[in-house]
Amino acid sequence: MIIEERGSTHVYKQIRMLSKEELERLESRCVHEQPAFCVAACPLKLDAKALAQAVSQGNFDEARKLYEKIAPFPHILAAGCDAPCEAKCRLTERGDAVDLRALEQAAMAYGQRGRARGVLRMKKRKTAAVFGSGLYSLFLAGELNKKAYPVTVFCREDDADAFIAAGAGFAPPEALAADAALLKETDIAFRFSTDLSRELIEEQRERFDVLCLSPELYASLYPEGSADAALQYDRENRLVSGSPRGVTETAFCAKKAALTVDRLAQNLDPGNSRGAEGPVETRLYTDVSGAEALARVPHQGLYTPGEAVREAGRCLQCRCDECIKGCAYLQHYQKFPRVLTREIYNNVSIIMGDHMMNKPINACSLCGQCSVTCPNGYDMGEICHLARQNMVSTDKMPLAPHEFALMDMLFSNNEAFLCRPQPGFETCQYVFFPGCQAAAIAPETVKAAYLDLCRRLDGGVGLLLGCCGAICDWAGRYELYDQTKEFIRRELARLGDPTVIVGCPSCKKELAGYGELKLVGIWDVLLRLGLPEGARGLERPAALHDSCGARGDPGTQEAVRSIAKALGVRLEDTPYSGDRSPCCGYGGLTAYANREVAGEMTAKCLERSDAPYISYCMACRDRFARQGRESRHILELVYGTDAGDPPDISQKRYNRLTLKKELLWELWHEETREMKLDFELRFTEEALRLMDERMILKDDVIAVLEEQRRTGQAVFDADSGLTAACRRVGNVTFWVKYTPLDNGGYLVRSAYSHRMQVVRRQG
Amino acid sequence: MADKNYYTVDPQGKLRCLKCGVPLEKGKAKFLYLDNGFPVELPVCPVCGFVYVPEELALGKVLAVEKALEDK
Ligand code: SF4
Ligand code: SF4
Ligand code: SF4
Repeated sequence: MIIEERGSTHVYKQIRMLSKEELERLESRCVHEQPAFCVAACPLKLDAKALAQAVSQGNFDEARKLYEKIAPFPHILAAGCDAPCEAKCRLTERGDAVDLRALEQAAMAYGQRGRARGVLRMKKRKTAAVFGSGLYSLFLAGELNKKAYPVTVFCREDDADAFIAAGAGFAPPEALAADAALLKETDIAFRFSTDLSRELIEEQRERFDVLCLSPELYASLYPEGSADAALQYDRENRLVSGSPRGVTETAFCAKKAALTVDRLAQNLDPGNSRGAEGPVETRLYTDVSGAEALARVPHQGLYTPGEAVREAGRCLQCRCDECIKGCAYLQHYQKFPRVLTREIYNNVSIIMGDHMMNKPINACSLCGQCSVTCPNGYDMGEICHLARQNMVSTDKMPLAPHEFALMDMLFSNNEAFLCRPQPGFETCQYVFFPGCQAAAIAPETVKAAYLDLCRRLDGGVGLLLGCCGAICDWAGRYELYDQTKEFIRRELARLGDPTVIVGCPSCKKELAGYGELKLVGIWDVLLRLGLPEGARGLERPAALHDSCGARGDPGTQEAVRSIAKALGVRLEDTPYSGDRSPCCGYGGLTAYANREVAGEMTAKCLERSDAPYISYCMACRDRFARQGRESRHILELVYGTDAGDPPDISQKRYNRLTLKKELLWELWHEETREMKLDFELRFTEEALRLMDERMILKDDVIAVLEEQRRTGQAVFDADSGLTAACRRVGNVTFWVKYTPLDNGGYLVRSAYSHRMQVVRRQG
Repeated sequence: MADKNYYTVDPQGKLRCLKCGVPLEKGKAKFLYLDNGFPVELPVCPVCGFVYVPEELALGKVLAVEKALEDK
């Protein structure tokens, strides 16, 4: 039986994976791009997090640049800002907030000034006048100058220094002097020593497009007026002004006022399309439980550069990366689920061209860890699974990444398949479903478990050796999955719809998706029956790895722990256990589709402890053992068996067949036909290694050699002294390089394959 | 002779067809995959037409083209 390769790359069919709304709903769960708490709190939109980072790196120039962006007169602002950011700093939960204001002052003191602003820029044609002095007038004139409006200030003071001092008496003399220097560099025009009256202001309407007033002047000259606080605008009197309190609010109101001037100058309504102003709510999540509870670095006056660097170093750089911390896959692609989702969605939606995201889509283990570690339950696995199904539905899913696994599943449910009631029974109360990987990796353990269940349970225990369909489900092959489901259901019906005793948590999860099946884990049955004789734990303390199939199934996680305890195993505590457990790399077929990422997943699992690993999914057991870690399945301990070194891909098939054959003979007295080769076949170590790496089975090699014997077709290479023969099996052409043996047999030295077909061409 | 070949392997007399007992020659062949075709020149038996795909070619160029097409 083969699975059909996808058709032409030139057939274009489109089925939407998610609606735009569904996509947006999913994406909005990820808060990674939400602003940090301090940033969100700042009405002036200072990127305080970036400023703290720059200072912590000793980059005062960059810090100053960030600060100059939000304030035309930064020394004064830094001296007087009430720092609402600090009140929102998450470090307040552990100790002192980062002293952001002191960092801002340090940035202004030690950073080099950015490029001189505005003087040479093209000025706008519309003009503005600012009447009165004070902080509001100063900041507003500065903001308008930044926006390139020609500004004229009318004030009672006699010079610029006096004008500045009138606005910012709170600031130290150095700050005043520094900002006075900045003011003199601007081309803000002044009418000093002016007697400010309502008449004067009204007269200026002729000469200026927009008139702005300091709050004090506005209150005294236009007592009837009521300027809108959000717009800083009095529509009746057509005047820009307000009544802010405090330095920060004044700076914010000056910004709002400048925007209003901008709108008025363009003859637009000042109330429309202003964009987001002021502080915002942030949905960011940051885990601060691990942060050190520290007091701020003390200072008298200005921090020294060294002190500032130390204080900035306390900043947590708040961000959400809960998902990425636990997942090797997300770490591999260095992308957050929100970004990854968008890229996958867009790429799946394109009709023609390169599907760059196929690799990431097929590399996720669909393990659902992120749905637990993410504070908002973002399930990247669900998105990758949907994308796979979508690719299958539009015939854009290449077969290559999953073909081996799918063929292996067909093997489990054909040649290696077995479904029988317990001898002596027509129908059964129970059926043991160990899972395809258990039979492939630890056939002795499966046999021991089955015999034990038969012995100790009443009502008959049937046996079902096969695959639950997880493989095709993970591959996104929904049609094959439905067929598999039907097939397994029919087999269970033949046994009288018994309670299924599953040996693998992933099977349990998959079979639960069938609906209406009675399911119980073998671990629960064992707890009820008690452990059999000969059950023994490990001498050394061990780490328990929770299978991703058991995520969201605390009963199973607990039952396995109880068994381990009953076995006398001392279990170490490991991070990321229980529902937060990472995948071993087998889940979602990552091990087939992307070995590199799968390897990183295994390593991530193993980095949690140096102890031997106990798992309750055979695939986990196998992958850890392959990394050279002492690795045991809980059932091996329960039954005193040891599956030993991990089998290669051919051995995994052989194990399933042999288990079936043995059990058929020993329990049901049925003999299976022995397939004997009529020629000798040997492999070099190197050939076996290459075959495992290239996913070539001994059966594939045999198929090639049988064809070679039938046709006599082969090529001799004088350079290597080897003979090569080939055969197309299903969607793949296999080649075998060998040395003939004297007895007509073969010593196989290498094997390789390609999916491409090669034909002769005329002309 | 505007025949463009994506790939050429010349057997240089070092390969023999064991069935026909003759050396393979550089001959015209075609790679086919997912409804795409590429003309190539590979070692071919002049008698029976058997086409040889060397290991390096299968694991190199052929694999790369397969991968590129799979993501189309
Ligand atoms: S855990 Fe990951 S997916 Fe969830 S909000 Fe944070 S960054 Fe986004
Ligand atoms: S720890 Fe740093 S990034 Fe987080 S809120 Fe405080 S200052 Fe902002
Ligand atoms: S591998 Fe698991 S944790 Fe990582 S993105 Fe996929 S489903 Fe989420």
